[in-house]
Amino acid sequence: MKQKLVLVFIGLFLFSLAGCRSQAPTAPGSQPQKIKVLLDWVPNTNHAGLYIAKDQGYYAQEGLDVEIVQPPEGGAAQLIASGQADFAVSYQEEVTMARAQNLPLLAIAAVIQHNSSGFASPQSKNIKTPLDFQGKTYGGWGSPSETAMLKALMKKYGGDVNRINIVNIGTADFFTSVQKDVDFSWIFYGWTGIEAEQKGLKLNFIPLDKEDPAFDFYTPVLIASEKTASSNPQMVERFMKATSRGYLFAVNNPDAASNIMVKAVPELNASLVNASLRYLAPRFQADAPRWGEMKKSTWDAYTAFLVENGLLAQGIDSDKAFTNRFLPAK
Amino acid sequence: MRNWSSTAKFWPAIGLLLLLGIWEAGVRLFALPGWLLPPPSSVITSLCNNFFLIADHSAYTLLEAAIGYAVSVLLAVFLALTFALSPLIKKLLYPLLILSQTIPLITLAVLFTIWFGWGLLPKVLVVVLVCFFPIALSLMNAISNVDFDLISLFKSMGARPLTIFRMVELPLAMPGLFSGLRISATYSIMAAVIAEWMGAQHGLGYYMILQQKSFAIDRVLAAVLVICLLSLLMVKLVDMLEYLFIPWNREQVRPDYQPLN
Repeated sequence: MKQKLVLVFIGLFLFSLAGCRSQAPTAPGSQPQKIKVLLDWVPNTNHAGLYIAKDQGYYAQEGLDVEIVQPPEGGAAQLIASGQADFAVSYQEEVTMARAQNLPLLAIAAVIQHNSSGFASPQSKNIKTPLDFQGKTYGGWGSPSETAMLKALMKKYGGDVNRINIVNIGTADFFTSVQKDVDFSWIFYGWTGIEAEQKGLKLNFIPLDKEDPAFDFYTPVLIASEKTASSNPQMVERFMKATSRGYLFAVNNPDAASNIMVKAVPELNASLVNASLRYLAPRFQADAPRWGEMKKSTWDAYTAFLVENGLLAQGIDSDKAFTNRFLPAK
Repeated sequence: MRNWSSTAKFWPAIGLLLLLGIWEAGVRLFALPGWLLPPPSSVITSLCNNFFLIADHSAYTLLEAAIGYAVSVLLAVFLALTFALSPLIKKLLYPLLILSQTIPLITLAVLFTIWFGWGLLPKVLVVVLVCFFPIALSLMNAISNVDFDLISLFKSMGARPLTIFRMVELPLAMPGLFSGLRISATYSIMAAVIAEWMGAQHGLGYYMILQQKSFAIDRVLAAVLVICLLSLLMVKLVDMLEYLFIPWNREQVRPDYQPLN
């Protein structure tokens, strides 16, 4: 019995080896470089540029063979820092916390120019201002930046953060969690907000960029490891050139972009993707001189906010946390 | 034999120290950063520094595991006894029992959360789902493996089926039950942590997510250490109960029991 099992395992092992081999590029002459990009969440329209660049062959034109991968529950930052993937979708909050722990990674582009996230709740919960958070349950994903944000909002409005019940809802989605014990969550308006509109669920939405300039941070961002950035800058430039083309495609053709997105990820709801991309098209680049560009003041402001609220012992060097140097020249 | 077994107690400790030594030396030698792999010394330090917070979360995890474990024991013993007494019910429910173990735990933990919210209940259910099966199965096997000659002997002396069950099958099945109890005890804490990982506001699983997302791997591992210790504690409790409840099984080597187990 044991021998048979061993044989089976050896067989499986050999089979998987053969599988790996057959996936390798076989086209003669060209040797596209294999690149792995980690998402931050299930695929959604924040990732449109990546899927478009892959589908439209922008990556191939730059000699890149890009694989888009969903992240494990632990999040992508450590995987980038340890070199398990080349690029990832992250957030300014995550990059800041990671830099504070000396993770060698940096942001290389802002996917959306302004923070389109905020606190959402069904209208029936009667949460109109941050003060109404008190006595309610917040459903989050277990990140320290959430507590910081709630604390700061309470401070601003003169509320008490200890009266907010903070629950980690893990991977449960907004719509199922607000059916149960959760009253409000932190969402991207361009995805969950649009989905609520489509489902006919009336939301109260408290947009963060309106609350405080420090809250208008970059979310999401693309990140790379310091090592990739310093040892392989040409590859990062080529990746950013193609990715930038992908996002600009979405800016100019939201309808075509949504078709591509749905083709790439057929599990998605096509009409949601379309409505979401129409919402995001003017917001990807917005008032920035080019897509992806970030300002130092935005990075400084959020760091200062974390330090003020006691979430960071000392600030981080913004110049090490982000760069615009890989973005294609305007 | 006795002397050897008392010195043998030191060997696991030496093995553990050796492992920790290699780990500490390796991390220092290769100057690994703390976010990648912290040395055991900094895990211990962060356990001390966050002791009260971790203890607070441990209490929740322990409570979930204990309730879940207790429910598992009751459920498993009830099912195993019912199956032993009624082959029909066994035929009816046994496939379902097996089926319950084939559902991916992660998916189920998420569904429990969606159905029952973020309180105690979904965690207890996950623990029950993980823990009741080994107990039920080992008790069922132990009962059906009881030496048939003994049963025949009691029958020949005119014992009724229920008496045989009470005097022969059940006592002889006890060691089997305890081996199931021991397996489940090792799983109980881990199951509670997995359930918390899927959504919670207290507990070691929740604490670990928070620390993981703050890139504080030393604190994550400190929680892992506590999970190991709590699991060992559960196993030790079962060992103690076994010692108390089935004194006839205290001697490890019982040649006359050998063919049964």
